[in-house]
Amino acid sequence: MLFPTVTFAVFFMIVLPTSWALMSRPRAWRAFIILASYVFYGWWDWRFVFLLAASTVVNHVVAVAIFRAESLAARKALCALGVAFDLGLLGYFKYTDFFLSSFDNVFGTSFLANVTLPVGVSFYTFMAISYVVDTYRGQLEPASFSRFAVFQAFFPHIVAGPIVRASELLPQLEEPRSPRRVDTSRAFFLIVSGLFLKVVIANHLSTHIVDDVFAAPKQHSSLEVLVAVYGYAVQIFADFCGYTNIAIGVALLLGFEFPQNFASPYAAVSLQDFWRRWHMTLSRWLRDYLYIPLGGNRKGRILTYRNLLLTMLLGGLWHGAAWTFVVWGGIHGVGLSIERLLGWRPHTRVQQWLGRVITFHVVCFGWIFFRADSFTLAWQVIERLFTAWGRPSPLVTTSIVLAILVGVLVQYVRPPVVTGLLAGFQRLSIVAQAACVAVALTVINALGPVGVAPFIYFRF
Amino acid sequence: MLPAYRGIFVLFIALVLAAVLEADGLRKQATTQPAGFGRNVAMAVTKPLVSFSRALHLTTPRHELLVAIGRGDEDKIDTQVHFTLPPPAGPLPRKISTGPKPRKHTTKPPKPVFTTAHPLRVWVAGDSLADVPGQAMQRLGGAIDVVGVESRLSTGLGRPDLYNWFVRIAEVPQQLHPNVAVLSFGADDAHNYMSGVPAGKTVGSLGSPSWDAEYERRANGVTAELNAKGIYVVWLGLPNTDHHGFRQSFPVVNKILEDVVAKHKTMSTFVDTWKLLSDKHGHYASYLRVNGQLELMRLSDGTHYTAAAGDLIAQQVVKQLGAVYRIEP
Repeated sequence: MLFPTVTFAVFFMIVLPTSWALMSRPRAWRAFIILASYVFYGWWDWRFVFLLAASTVVNHVVAVAIFRAESLAARKALCALGVAFDLGLLGYFKYTDFFLSSFDNVFGTSFLANVTLPVGVSFYTFMAISYVVDTYRGQLEPASFSRFAVFQAFFPHIVAGPIVRASELLPQLEEPRSPRRVDTSRAFFLIVSGLFLKVVIANHLSTHIVDDVFAAPKQHSSLEVLVAVYGYAVQIFADFCGYTNIAIGVALLLGFEFPQNFASPYAAVSLQDFWRRWHMTLSRWLRDYLYIPLGGNRKGRILTYRNLLLTMLLGGLWHGAAWTFVVWGGIHGVGLSIERLLGWRPHTRVQQWLGRVITFHVVCFGWIFFRADSFTLAWQVIERLFTAWGRPSPLVTTSIVLAILVGVLVQYVRPPVVTGLLAGFQRLSIVAQAACVAVALTVINALGPVGVAPFIYFRF
Repeated sequence: MLPAYRGIFVLFIALVLAAVLEADGLRKQATTQPAGFGRNVAMAVTKPLVSFSRALHLTTPRHELLVAIGRGDEDKIDTQVHFTLPPPAGPLPRKISTGPKPRKHTTKPPKPVFTTAHPLRVWVAGDSLADVPGQAMQRLGGAIDVVGVESRLSTGLGRPDLYNWFVRIAEVPQQLHPNVAVLSFGADDAHNYMSGVPAGKTVGSLGSPSWDAEYERRANGVTAELNAKGIYVVWLGLPNTDHHGFRQSFPVVNKILEDVVAKHKTMSTFVDTWKLLSDKHGHYASYLRVNGQLELMRLSDGTHYTAAAGDLIAQQVVKQLGAVYRIEP
């Protein structure tokens, strides 16, 4: 089920009041939310509901076994078993054909399996791993089965995150949420802003320049290619930030707080700063469950660079089963290593602006590999950036430039502006608030293209 | 009032208000749904909604906004299957043989030549399956000049209410002056419902004689209209797929398209993507070997093409166009 659809609106108008009506009866509430989440997830392909349920059962059994095990060796073995199961699941559904085809292209053998990728598997598997590992580390006591099932399948985050930690969501499931403490203004702001970013900005850029240019770079002028690269940077931000804003807003209306996932990433002054602002829940997952276990920066300079590079390469591969994603991760890994080598810490205003410009362009360069369907097309994009200036550029229109400007400028909106807006909204009567939301939905729907394009991160 | 319940009320009123303001759009969405319970409910709900909204002129803001951004016709529901040519008059009377046939001395006319300086103008159109082959045609460059790739999600010849391709196909020759139209329709038509059926006629389920006849009438009409304006038509067949239902329904459409092409042999061709993208045993294959390397051919839904599949299809289109045109690299 996709957020910006009538189907979801109807679904949510049933789930939201029912959830609050059942809130004071936790068992009934949990059963209802699990059912609602499975319906939401199964709307895509009901067969994969069984996979999700199997993942929940296995991870819960392993976590409880780890908690009950008395020896460290047994806990370690069980943790390894749980992580192996999760990585096996992810590996089979996401990477089987990728690795087999890569193997085939080197050794000339064919064992392809034609595996279908279940939506959201990368997200809920990472959440399950964090649950098992945190239990092993003694940072978490396993929750009851139904609580863990809600944690893993909760429909606002199941398909494309944010990657919520067990320590963040499970405590919220211990006690019924208070209907007094729901920040509805922020929830509506997040939902409406998320819809605007996705439906208007991301879809407009995708359908009017990015897809055309990345499909056939050689047929476009250098200006079109340059604008398409900037356009993709804004598109992927608007698409993914838009989705997680809606997810966070929907969870807020249900009474749950999700972690922030984006904090003006294109205002970052360095790559390190960028990764503190972009897909923040993935960044910290990679830091805590990959970079630090690899040794982090505690084992000398060379190993720190190795760890950075490995983390980013694997982070790239997490995004998609293709070597272009690995190169994207590699660009970020090398960039982070160079920053560390140079000790880049911008202090003055000039340094910070220089840092912003350089970081934004390194990120855009990485996006070329992330977006291109093959290395050939990625190189064509890069080559075309320099070889076709002065040609007609019909795709570079006012609306495209405006969409890119809006996408970049929203990174520089100061928090007090948003706080002021929310305070103003909160003072309105119920009908006035509803009218504001209705007008916003109508304008967004009219400005967006016909049909709903899938969210980019659904593929991951 | 507690914030949670306030939120529910705000959301409920907002959705009702938005539904009133977008009544025309919702009505169109309801109309264009596949036949069934969901469509019946949506139609029943949106009918009074549209009447109420129009009576109070609440549909005007959306309409004005759409006009301002150049999409004033978006909420229009046009189910007409427009053809300017009269339908075929039926089978011609058989000639009575009056003696031995005179021997024909036919010499094939030379193929029209297209070069980078004088490229073949190609228009690619259809549903979501048209997009990637269209982009691959663009990548060919040289003597192939793609004058437009028009890919509209979930549309087809069976659903003029959703998007009226018959109107668009009538406009394109004047606007874009293509030599060739590459059409990819049918993936979203291969189900039991068809709109725009002539008054007094009914159409049965997919694959029934009445369904086949009506779909053939439409595909045939499109081909004839374009041919009459000198435009060669390339029909892209539907591919073998990982989706069980599509594996049953796509061949029905392919068969009809092949029959249509057989009737317009000199001015149309059928590209058999089913065969092109299946493995050597004729089975669905997400990967195929191209120039010795395994390449991913389909997206994760098991139906839509990757760029590599688009390239294969584009090459096949050019190969088949080679039978009628000389396309110089």
